[in-house]
Amino acid sequence: MRLSGAAFFSLALAVVAAYAVYAALRWPPKAALFPLTMGIPLLILALAQTLVELRDPPTPAPPPGAQARTVTVFAWMATFIVLVLLAGFPIAVPLFVFSYLVMESREGVGLSIALAAAAWGVFHLLFERLLHFPFETGLIRSLF
Amino acid sequence: MFDALIQGLTLVLQWNAFSLMLVGMALGFVVGLLPGIGGAATLALMLPFVFKMSPVEAFAFLLGMHSVAATTGDITSILFGVPGEGLSAATVVDGHPMAKRGEAARALGAALMSSLVGAVIGAAALAVSIPIVRPLVLTFGSPELFMVTVMGIACITSLSGQGTRAQVKGFAMGLLGLLLATIGQERQSGILRFDFGLIYLWEGLDLIPVLVGIFAIPEIIDLAVRGTSIAGNAPAARLGAGVWEGIKDTFRHFWLVVRCSMVGVFVGILPGAGGGVAQWMAYAHAVQSAKNASDRNGFGGGDVRGVLGPGAANNSKEGGDLIPTIAFGVPGSGAMAILLGAFLIMGLHPGPDMLTKHLAVTYSMVWTLVIANVITVLVCLATLPYLAQVTRVRGGLILPFLLLLVFVGSYTANRQIADLLVTLGFGALGYFMMRFGWPRAPLVLGFVLGKLAETYLFISIARYGYSWLAQPLVIVLIVLTALVIVFPFLQERRSRAA
Repeated sequence: MRLSGAAFFSLALAVVAAYAVYAALRWPPKAALFPLTMGIPLLILALAQTLVELRDPPTPAPPPGAQARTVTVFAWMATFIVLVLLAGFPIAVPLFVFSYLVMESREGVGLSIALAAAAWGVFHLLFERLLHFPFETGLIRSLF
Repeated sequence: MFDALIQGLTLVLQWNAFSLMLVGMALGFVVGLLPGIGGAATLALMLPFVFKMSPVEAFAFLLGMHSVAATTGDITSILFGVPGEGLSAATVVDGHPMAKRGEAARALGAALMSSLVGAVIGAAALAVSIPIVRPLVLTFGSPELFMVTVMGIACITSLSGQGTRAQVKGFAMGLLGLLLATIGQERQSGILRFDFGLIYLWEGLDLIPVLVGIFAIPEIIDLAVRGTSIAGNAPAARLGAGVWEGIKDTFRHFWLVVRCSMVGVFVGILPGAGGGVAQWMAYAHAVQSAKNASDRNGFGGGDVRGVLGPGAANNSKEGGDLIPTIAFGVPGSGAMAILLGAFLIMGLHPGPDMLTKHLAVTYSMVWTLVIANVITVLVCLATLPYLAQVTRVRGGLILPFLLLLVFVGSYTANRQIADLLVTLGFGALGYFMMRFGWPRAPLVLGFVLGKLAETYLFISIARYGYSWLAQPLVIVLIVLTALVIVFPFLQERRSRAA
């Protein structure tokens, strides 16, 4: 019996449900009723599913390179969030588009600059000019 | 009444009102394409601009914008798998797989045409129901509303797929969605639940980051892994050719579109339920309408009926939403609460006056819903073959823009940086769910309905004790709920026996 990815996911779900039930037991009945009503059957179903997954043959592995690409996309998403935190949306948007196109998609610098400028233009016109939508300016600017 | 109907039309067609409606529609078109900043948020942002307008102009501008945003939300949902509006997430389930198969234009044609039919039915329902709506709305107290949400939750059986294992996974995801809806301050006792000491979680999780993360990010990862365009290797000739096929699909399944439109109207009338609920209930109804188990197999993988149902409900609920707003001043959704503000700015008081003294203004709203949708659909139909070509752009080029759409959209819903992390977290959850075969729709349905169900349950118990269970309409709804749960199993058994 081997803990496959699918079994691990089911087990993680069971752990979440178990925590929800444990936390709800300390609340007054009114606040605990709904989480307990949902959490207990979820715990049972998730444990049952874990047992099923442990008996089943593991889910076929993704095609070669898929895992690496998935991790790369998640890393880019995290990078964008860090950029937003540091520099704010108005700078992060064109910077992210340019960096992604050059470093990940291997596009030419000229095309990447043009597309980054277009992204900034649409963002600026729509959110800042038309909708007057307030965006965070980022940690760097708030320091100075 | 007929005079007022005609007068309403002439009021909307006056130059000032009509041109303002076009401006609102243009704005709604763009906003609808972006996730997060939905119709309600844009209504709020545009409210200060209506001070100098007449009531007809103001409602032409605001309603034109709002109804178009609901329609165009389907475009991003289908093309990129990114829900353009919180209301258009159900369209992703079957619409995006169609786009991946090279049938983007057909899916878009079906979504837009069913939206138009839905909008007309919603507007007709609004026009017809104005004199009779009062007893209908008053019949539905908290116990009945609780049972309607339970009936919605029971639709999980239809959204879970077939077989015992799929049902187990579907129910588990529905329960997880309901559990996630309990995060934040409990409204009756004020207890903070699952807040982990974070102020951000006091209000609970917002729908947009959850939806966008769970649906859009797995699609973006899939696109990156495939390394192709969205439509992959689908023949180029098929891309733009399906618009008429999509339109014909609407009329091929016309009664389904009508029924789903009625679901939208009904959910729209109920206070607090909102468009997301209407779409998922309509989707579940479309799945349940399948003749047998094998007929249901295509749902989730690109069945056009899965696009038609949510498309129709999405717009018909606008008419339904307006009914209690106009007749009682009780808004059916967040957007309608903002529209109520517009009523007050205009010096109008929702209630009997809107059904007598200002009946022409009321009917001008009905006409705005119809005209705005007709124009949008005509414009979109003309451009659909070109829009569908976006699915041919190579993945590497389109990916950073999709990521922007996802994260800027999530942020604009509440202007919280933490929403970006929630989007990423739910993106990871959605990815693993897809990878290990757990359905995403039941989780979203549970999450959308969870808060409502809990609130209505507590009001029912506080007001009636447990005697609410014996109310006649509640009993009818309990029976209907039982039917909704049992029906897929019966259908499966029957088709196995056959």
